[in-house]
Amino acid sequence: MNDQLAAHGVRIVALSKDTVEQVRYHYDRDRLDALLLSDADLTVIRQYGVEHHKAMEFSIGRFQLFGVPLALVPTVKTMAIPTTLLLDEHGVVQWIDQADDYRLRSDVDRVLQAVCDVFGPPAR
Amino acid sequence: MSFLPLLLTGGGAIAVLGSWALYMGSVPSGRVPPRPVGHIIAQAVGMALAITGMAQVVTTPTLPIGLPSAALAGPALTMGGLFLFLLTQRKTPLGKLRVAVGDPMLPFSATTRDGEAFHSDQLRGQRVLFKFFRGHW
Repeated sequence: MNDQLAAHGVRIVALSKDTVEQVRYHYDRDRLDALLLSDADLTVIRQYGVEHHKAMEFSIGRFQLFGVPLALVPTVKTMAIPTTLLLDEHGVVQWIDQADDYRLRSDVDRVLQAVCDVFGPPAR
Repeated sequence: MSFLPLLLTGGGAIAVLGSWALYMGSVPSGRVPPRPVGHIIAQAVGMALAITGMAQVVTTPTLPIGLPSAALAGPALTMGGLFLFLLTQRKTPLGKLRVAVGDPMLPFSATTRDGEAFHSDQLRGQRVLFKFFRGHW
């Protein structure tokens, strides 16, 4: 999808509650071609109204032996509701996609269709 | 000595853990099934097999069969229960998004992976697909 978005001159910017270290780990692990941003104190997430108060998160906690995780502890944390905004060159919102199911990401075909609808066919 | 409990709990563990592996394999590509009916059935059948196997162990207990059966039933029941519970938590509350189509984006500040300050002004003049995501969980 990155190549197709680049053909339309669209850049991906992704923001989450991850700390800078977690963002760096995510970027290094997945070699993402996107600008990843840390919003660890949820300022931007709250500003946009995409805060999910009762999201489930799993952590190793104290259950580890010599650094080896023995169990995952579920905790309720606040994090972002998966939301996608398509912004034009003037910073105006042209399309919004928001999942009511945290497991589902924005469908690639739907995103690309929205990009074509808003910006027209890709530049050759 | 009947191996039935071992077969039942082993089958249960395979069903549950196999379903987990297939489901988690679809996560990186973003192809998680919206309605994971097959996975739900696999988890439920796996747990039922594990319970049936352990019931057999309890009624005719033999250590060489009982211990490995319990070792297989444990993961089957815990991971199966966890999978089904997580599915009940999948719905997220919506309706409070503070921008609509046609609105200007809200200016914001954040931090890059290099620890540098970032402001949304840096996106001026660019087309942007701006994604809020859950991040590490």
